Amino acid sequence: MPAIGRSRPARGSSITRRRLLLGLGAAAALGLARASAAETFSFGLTPVFLDNDIELLSMLERYLTGRLRRPVALIKRRTYQEISALLISGQLDAAWICDDPYVQYRNQLTLLAVPLYHHRPLYQTYIIVNEASRAQDFDDIRGTVHAFSDPDSTSGYLITRWLLALRHTMPAQFFREFFFTYGHRNVIRAVGSGLAESGSIDGYVWDVMRDREPDLVRKTRIVYRSEWLGFPPMVAPNARANEPAVKAFAAALLDAASDPLGRQILDILALDGFTTGTPDMYQSTLDKWRVVKAQV
Amino acid sequence: MPRLLRLTSWPLTVKVPLLVAGLMVAIAVAISQIVLARLARDQETNLRLLSNAYLDGLSAAVLPAVIRSDIWETFDALDRARGRYSGVKVRYAFVELPNETILAASDPDRFPVMKPVPEKLRKEFPKDDGLAIDEASGRAWLTRTLRTEGFSVGRIHAEIDIADLLRVRHQVLLTLLLANGGLALAFALIGYFAVKHMLQPLSVLTRYVERIRDGRLEPIPQRYRRNVASEFGQIFDRFNAMARTLSERETLATQLAEQEKYAMLGRLASGMAHEVNNPLGGMLNAIDTIQAHGNDPAVVQTSLEFLKRGLAGIRNVVRAALVTYKGGSGTVLTPAELDDLPFLVQHETGVRRLRLEWCNRVEAPLAIDGPAVRQVVLNLLLNACAASPVAGAVAVEAAPADGGLRITVSDEGPGLPIELAALLEQPETPAPSRAGKGLGLWTTAHLVRRLGGRVAVERPGTGTRVVVTLPVVPTKETTRDAA
Repeated sequence: MPAIGRSRPARGSSITRRRLLLGLGAAAALGLARASAAETFSFGLTPVFLDNDIELLSMLERYLTGRLRRPVALIKRRTYQEISALLISGQLDAAWICDDPYVQYRNQLTLLAVPLYHHRPLYQTYIIVNEASRAQDFDDIRGTVHAFSDPDSTSGYLITRWLLALRHTMPAQFFREFFFTYGHRNVIRAVGSGLAESGSIDGYVWDVMRDREPDLVRKTRIVYRSEWLGFPPMVAPNARANEPAVKAFAAALLDAASDPLGRQILDILALDGFTTGTPDMYQSTLDKWRVVKAQV
Repeated sequence: MPRLLRLTSWPLTVKVPLLVAGLMVAIAVAISQIVLARLARDQETNLRLLSNAYLDGLSAAVLPAVIRSDIWETFDALDRARGRYSGVKVRYAFVELPNETILAASDPDRFPVMKPVPEKLRKEFPKDDGLAIDEASGRAWLTRTLRTEGFSVGRIHAEIDIADLLRVRHQVLLTLLLANGGLALAFALIGYFAVKHMLQPLSVLTRYVERIRDGRLEPIPQRYRRNVASEFGQIFDRFNAMARTLSERETLATQLAEQEKYAMLGRLASGMAHEVNNPLGGMLNAIDTIQAHGNDPAVVQTSLEFLKRGLAGIRNVVRAALVTYKGGSGTVLTPAELDDLPFLVQHETGVRRLRLEWCNRVEAPLAIDGPAVRQVVLNLLLNACAASPVAGAVAVEAAPADGGLRITVSDEGPGLPIELAALLEQPETPAPSRAGKGLGLWTTAHLVRRLGGRVAVERPGTGTRVVVTLPVVPTKETTRDAA
């Protein structure tokens, strides 16, 4: 894993430094943190389908480093929640997060850019089943073993939870068994192998994977497509939103489509570019989150 | 046919190579057993080591996930471990929770999550941690308990394909069979030719011994004496020495028998002179009678009859003597040749007023040395006549018996001395030691042995009975007659 290996020292040193500074006063710490942030820009990534693409991470790091004129550390964690926690606690300068954590922490986060998928900042949730399954719609997956992606994922959890909430039920009652794979690609693997009989997945990831790994995706079939939802956005903590590095980062994303390396990255991600988003794009996600929240 | 079945009668050239091949096969079987047993043991040891390595790696990978009952992480670890362990062909693996349900399997279609382990399969896996091998199905089953802080949190079960190991074993077996079979065959062939070469002198010896049976006593030529092993050289030398001795003895015996014949003829001659002379007086009287009373046809007729009888008697005596002297044919005995004999002893019987009871039951010619038989009977008859008291009875009976010829000569004499009886009865004819004394009986014994017969001397109260049994060579004609 050369790309991650390369990025580790920068990330490690910055975190160690931060941890050291945690002992100091909050105000002093904030000032010093900013000074260190000027050195290394920390960009958090949730495992969309990137978990299998070292080359993409390396290109992204190269592109951002060039545009920001400073070292960029790509921070990856196993769960969405870890990235959210790092972001909210100010340990990241920016992050690509799911729309679910965005609506949860919408008051503390500023939208920087929203990816354009098929020229729209929208995506869907799919409910998939194994190709051998006889299920035709969402209600047919009752009593199955279900694979979720991540408890903080809109497509990989929230939408399914919302559908269950509408039926006044919970996963433990509706499914025979359920588990989290912490990756959309893993949901396809779980459903394709038969480990799970159904799964909740990001429709964008499923579509892209169908071209990239057709043998794997062919073993799954969509039984439910959600409405169009706001695409997982690039965000920064409110406190950093006006920092030059963060602004440079947002500009780099918005300009990516006109840059050769940026274009390559977008091609790999099967995106058309980025746009400046608005919070109201995520109203539908917020509504559903509130329904689910009310049920608990 | 039964001779072929008797192993001891097989020639050495076959027995030795068969023995070598048999030993090779026995050694090959033993070695193959050892090699295969060792191979099987090594394979099992290797399988255990590799299985343990596989389970060690897998346990470390799945343990944290199993503690959390994390279906995905457990599956991910099982899935990633698939095909990573060279030497262990894992068909499937699954993790069973303490509540006996499956947490995750490498083959979820077959082992759905949170379902019980199929009962049929449960029996295949070892109850405790370890390895169970079933060679018949080419499978092996592994079980490993996952423990944390001494508590069992689950068990890994895996099925391994060991067909490759068994295939290697079969290949080794096949190689051993081919190699050892080839070696056994090669050694058998080498053994055959080696033994055949080594036994070459023996076949020469056998050939020359066989010739003795045909009556040809020849020493082994010097050219065979060369290039043979020292043991065979000595045997050849001994054989040649024996052949020389036997040949000399045979010549001597033949000469003695010949001499005895002439001696006997000499003895017979005077008797014969009497036998010729006696009728001569009567015959001259008959001629005188014819001259004196030639006018009386009845007298002439009676005289001529008398003359004819006298001449016939003379002719018989002379003919018997001639046959004895000349020898006649050496392969056939006609009944008439035996019936001649009483004429030759007429004088002996006449002088001592002996009663000769002659009984010849031989009706057809026999394939036997006629002159020799005649001499045997004549010798015994003369001996009996000599031994009989005056006016005693001498009986001769010749009859076919058991595919041979039995001749019995009895007298009423004092009995044959033991040493002479032994001379007749013993299987080997000793060298004639005392010239003249018992030469007649020695010749008889010698001739009987030469004809392949035997002699029994009996003492039935008074006198002696000598029974000679002679084999008759079966000829085509006699065989057909017998059939």
